[in-house]
Amino acid sequence: MLKIKTLVFKELKRFFTDRRMLASLLLPGVMIYVLYSLIGNFTDQSQTVADDRVFQVYTLHYPEPFDFMFELFDHEIEVTALSAFNPDDLVRLENRELEMIIVFEPDFYATMQAYTVDSGNPAPHVEVYFNSAHLESRLIYQHTTGLLQAYEQQLSNKFDINRNLDAVYNQATDADFSRQFITGIVPFLLMVFLFGGAQAIATESIAGEKERGTIATLLATPTRRSDIALGKIIALSLTALVGATSSFIGVMFSLPQLINDESFTLAMYGWDTYVLLFVIIITTVLIFVTVLSLISAYAKSIKEAASLATPLMLVVYIVGLTSMLGSSQANVLYYLIPIYNSVQALTAVLNQTITTTQLGLTILGNTILFATAIVILAKAFDSEKIMFNK
Amino acid sequence: MDSIVVKDLKKTFKLSKKQQKLEPNSSTQKVAVDAVSFSVKKGEIYGLLGPNGAGKTTTLRIIASLIKADEGDAWIEGVSVKDHPAEVRKNIGFLTSELKLDDFFTPNYLADYFGRLHGLEETVLRERKEALFTQFGIHPFKEVKVADLSTGMKQKVSLVISILHNPNVIIFDEPTNGLDILTAKTVTDFLIDLKAQGKTIILSTHIFELVEKLCDRVGIIIHGKMSLSEDVSTLMKTQRLEDVFFNLFAASEASYA
Repeated sequence: MLKIKTLVFKELKRFFTDRRMLASLLLPGVMIYVLYSLIGNFTDQSQTVADDRVFQVYTLHYPEPFDFMFELFDHEIEVTALSAFNPDDLVRLENRELEMIIVFEPDFYATMQAYTVDSGNPAPHVEVYFNSAHLESRLIYQHTTGLLQAYEQQLSNKFDINRNLDAVYNQATDADFSRQFITGIVPFLLMVFLFGGAQAIATESIAGEKERGTIATLLATPTRRSDIALGKIIALSLTALVGATSSFIGVMFSLPQLINDESFTLAMYGWDTYVLLFVIIITTVLIFVTVLSLISAYAKSIKEAASLATPLMLVVYIVGLTSMLGSSQANVLYYLIPIYNSVQALTAVLNQTITTTQLGLTILGNTILFATAIVILAKAFDSEKIMFNK
Repeated sequence: MDSIVVKDLKKTFKLSKKQQKLEPNSSTQKVAVDAVSFSVKKGEIYGLLGPNGAGKTTTLRIIASLIKADEGDAWIEGVSVKDHPAEVRKNIGFLTSELKLDDFFTPNYLADYFGRLHGLEETVLRERKEALFTQFGIHPFKEVKVADLSTGMKQKVSLVISILHNPNVIIFDEPTNGLDILTAKTVTDFLIDLKAQGKTIILSTHIFELVEKLCDRVGIIIHGKMSLSEDVSTLMKTQRLEDVFFNLFAASEASYA
């Protein structure tokens, strides 16, 4: 036990007294916060139109009863009535000199009132020209077509859906909305950061020692190979956990900035959620570190270890994407499959639907893989073919 | 009493395709060590002499339990390397130019680290470290990272770490290789000192003078086979060690071809 402690402390000293190494561990969390805040800010800015912005709209054969459309818009609209359609105006639209051209058929209103579907004739037509690459044009287009469609539905009204404006038909709370968003994105991001953190240190750990020739010095001591394996894994896992915790805090704090919505909240999560997340994160980090250390042990160089780890990285990322389906796997046996179980368990915890069986099987599945990998790693330390590339 | 007994060691390595092309008969494997046997008495210095690639390092690695022999075995103070490798590691000090120290750490930290891995008690560790650091002039550099030490000082630190646990058997693979004359002198003086303390030493080298000066007995390995194992003083009564070696080498080359 004393030897494991000695091995762990040496590895930790290596990581935590090297400023560059420490910075590479902690920076991702800070970077995530800064980046997400910036993205949220930019997104918000890119969707905002100045209050005094006057929208330019050209109309042809515009029916007077439709005046309400422009009155309901948030910004002032300067409407220019055309006497004829001029193709040059489309160029002006392209050049963002105006926001929309709306062309009605002559006598549109009367034709519309007289029109019946049974007649078999084409319905009266409205053409709305806009520029989707232009924010202001896109906004007024959405506003106008939305109202026109609502009006058209009203004309052929057979029944109403959610007519009462005072009633709250959507029963989703702010917590539901937030939970849905978090569940979709956080498990994937966590898997990416956990794997990235583990990869940064574990692929180098043993292959690097082989490359530098320091592993032989260690193997010449009377330390048990299993102690060396455990010592390395514990130290690497603790280090990766620090990096993962930093990234996790960065993600959770930056989500409100990214979403930039007042209704977004984390209040539905209590300490128990964070404890469960931490338990799953620990078991996940352990398997990432152990499997990557195995890859590192079998590789002849750091470069080869990094190449060999790439397919595993792709698996982790693709499996991580399953969290975006929104709900967790119902079949409990799937919780025995490492990596997939972590994604599903993280999703279930954040959805606040995790069961004891799901959690237990996730821990069991990951522990089995961890223990197996430790045994293989200890054997690798005893193999001259692997340690000395013979 | 024999402190080290080596009996019928054989080790074969598989060759990579690149290595196979370099072999005269495109063999898929190479016999690195073939039926090597010798013994070393307690308190002796035994020199293993041979050209590069003769099998010296492989033999020493097998004795140090870093790699396993395909056939045969070695016994360190009666303990089988094959059956009890961890026990053997407690009783030997092993130094080779291939054993490197982590550049990031200081000699002081590494001495503590390896001392603890060898199971030394803290008071014993402190005393041993103090004595060896003084003997090798490491004190002024004990808090300097290995990366910033000179090659000679690195070798001294490696030497100290390899014998920190005060082993009875010491295995040095080309201990003066690449060292400047002053550091090489420190190492050879230290080997004489260790012999005076009653330690048993095997060292591999291709420097005849080193064997003549330090060793009680010499084993000459050529193409993985032990061509000769003899008292140095007996050998040198009739001819120089260098002549013995080249005669054996010429004979071996002739039979190998």
